[in-house]
Amino acid sequence: MMKYESQGVAKLYFIAAIGLFTGQILFGVVMGLQYVMGDFLFPEIPFNVARMVHTNLLIVWLLFGFMGSAYFLVPEESERELYAPWLAKLMFWIFLVAGALTILGYLLVPYAQLADLTMNDLLPTMGREFLEQPTITKIGIVIVALAFIFNIGMTILTGRKTVINLVLLTGLVGLAVFFLFSFYNPDNIVLDKYFWWFVVHLWVEGVWELIMASLLAFVLIKVTGVDREVIEKWLYIIIAMALISGLVGTGHHFFWIGTPDYWQWLGSIFSALEPIPFFMMTLFAFNVVNKRRRDHPNKAAVLWALGTAVMAFLGAGVWGFLHTLAPVNYYTHGTQVTAAHGHMAFYGAYVMVVLTMISYSMPLMRGQKAGNQKAQVLEMWSFWLMTVSMVFITLFLTGAGILQVYLQRFSEDPLPFMVVQEKVALFYWMREVAGLVFLIGLILYIYSFFAKGDEVVFAED
Amino acid sequence: MNSDELQLKRASKAALFSLLNLTVLPVIGFIILLLIYQKSSSDSIDHYYSVIGIKTNVFAGIALLLVSGLMILLGGFDSPWTWVYVVSYFTFVHALFILFATWVLVRSWTGEKLKKNILSK
Amino acid sequence: MRETFTKGMARNIYYGGAVFFLLVLIGLTFDTVKGLPKTDNSENMTELVAAGKRVWERNDCIGCHTLLGEGAYFAPELGNVYTRFGESTEAIKGFIKGRPVDGIKGRRSMPQFNLTDEELDAVAEFLKYVDGVKTARDWPPNVQG
Repeated sequence: MMKYESQGVAKLYFIAAIGLFTGQILFGVVMGLQYVMGDFLFPEIPFNVARMVHTNLLIVWLLFGFMGSAYFLVPEESERELYAPWLAKLMFWIFLVAGALTILGYLLVPYAQLADLTMNDLLPTMGREFLEQPTITKIGIVIVALAFIFNIGMTILTGRKTVINLVLLTGLVGLAVFFLFSFYNPDNIVLDKYFWWFVVHLWVEGVWELIMASLLAFVLIKVTGVDREVIEKWLYIIIAMALISGLVGTGHHFFWIGTPDYWQWLGSIFSALEPIPFFMMTLFAFNVVNKRRRDHPNKAAVLWALGTAVMAFLGAGVWGFLHTLAPVNYYTHGTQVTAAHGHMAFYGAYVMVVLTMISYSMPLMRGQKAGNQKAQVLEMWSFWLMTVSMVFITLFLTGAGILQVYLQRFSEDPLPFMVVQEKVALFYWMREVAGLVFLIGLILYIYSFFAKGDEVVFAED
Repeated sequence: MNSDELQLKRASKAALFSLLNLTVLPVIGFIILLLIYQKSSSDSIDHYYSVIGIKTNVFAGIALLLVSGLMILLGGFDSPWTWVYVVSYFTFVHALFILFATWVLVRSWTGEKLKKNILSK
Repeated sequence: MRETFTKGMARNIYYGGAVFFLLVLIGLTFDTVKGLPKTDNSENMTELVAAGKRVWERNDCIGCHTLLGEGAYFAPELGNVYTRFGESTEAIKGFIKGRPVDGIKGRRSMPQFNLTDEELDAVAEFLKYVDGVKTARDWPPNVQG
């Protein structure tokens, strides 16, 4: 069912991605509980360790997802086999082992000891949010990324060049380039923070959007049969808006870290434009599905694609806009409002786009055009369970955040942080329940790959 | 330009201003929507879409402004809980209206009515 | 409208827009970096502060706390902890040193990191230095962070 045999490498990457995703959610549930039962698993797994595992697993599994997606997409778009399938397999194992060792390192030894073991003093890069990986792991990531980009780059350059695979390549090269800023860790805290955002912001609100848009465009072409010309025009304009708003939009992180005042204006104005690309993605997905030329048997994939567009708009667009203007951010910066936005944005944009690719490609790699009836029904149930529970996680964290802002920062008699945390505990309990529902959705999702049932009938074109 | 094309053009304009009224052009969008409605002849595509737009926006106005206003009135301006509910409610429900108007806009481009559900077929 | 707006135009907006705004960001970055000494408290940057930043990083403090609003939201903001603790590095050191090894029953508690005296001095000095960074509108809004 695959057009090119080497597309099959993607399967390895996707299986690893789903495995690590499960780990991420388990640790998320642990942290959620630690928010209300402070001594849970203390001192064996303190909150900071659980959080490191939660966020690093997310990053690693999304990278696995992106790489798997690229390995599936690029041969098909380039109309040739992958340049070096063996390299893709080798890099898979290197990345998996390095990732697993890093996570085990977080869990099994105190972080300071891990820093010593990995000789962090030679080039100190550890201990910064999301970039907690030992320096040696970071170097490993760079090597894996370079080998990966070489592999798909050669495939594209020697094959058919389409807008989709070129945009994807640009996004992936950007990902690798901006990651290099993670090696820059000056003593000056303001400089450190400023360039830290060159990794974090320019990834998630910059080049990752290119990756996301191209993956979505690919799946939409496949499941709707809509003319490539139309889709490519949309793709260009979406990523144009993403970069036009997002590059200077980095400024919304430069409000309160000791950077010049002009960022208040620039950051507010440009980041107010940041919902536009996400809104256009919704418009694009709705439009293309509405104008579809065929009804693809893989209904689950269509659902994921539409869901990605909608949830990315809600999470990244709406919840980002909610607290992006400097006068609002003055109060909300570094509160649960940020956490709310972070959860829905990552899920809606990046988790869902990877799951969309998996949903579309996994049946093909297993020799079917689409999953069987029962598998699809289960997958769609898992879609709704995970998506709705994520909406609730976001709403509860938003509630917690607003209350926190009011009690700790807005009222005439501001209360200390820990006092406020106890006052918002109810929201944390509800968030934890929603988190458990998410976990159930994930279990159902995994089960859907093994479900047996009647093959779907193809309305073949 | 034949009348079908003209109707489609007006219909998508109506859907667009319904969306704009919900987002960057509140009130102004609604006035333009009313003008489009006035110019449309009954039974035309643009009539259908301007009516949907007006209904959506009237309903959104009630659901967002009136309900939020009532929340503030009943909850009290100085209560943190008022703002917990108002901000979360407004953000979420507002986003849902925008998504609905977006879907309507997409349908108006083809002139199709709303009934046919994409996932039921 | 959609007939007159071609793919070529969309492509040009993408390339033009991306390159232009990347250059704008680079330009602003140069300006920001050049102007930082006015606000970044670098006049109080010492060997001890730099060592303190290493202690801060080695123990992943950012995994629970925020620093100038960035980090995790599990524990208090530390960008102004020096002010909150009565402008006393001794109070900061005392707090870190005094954390119970097994935590506090049913509550959140900071781990006991067993820092040496040198490390304690350094990290307290680092937090004092961060407190001296001149943030816009003197963020955070009040002493509670």
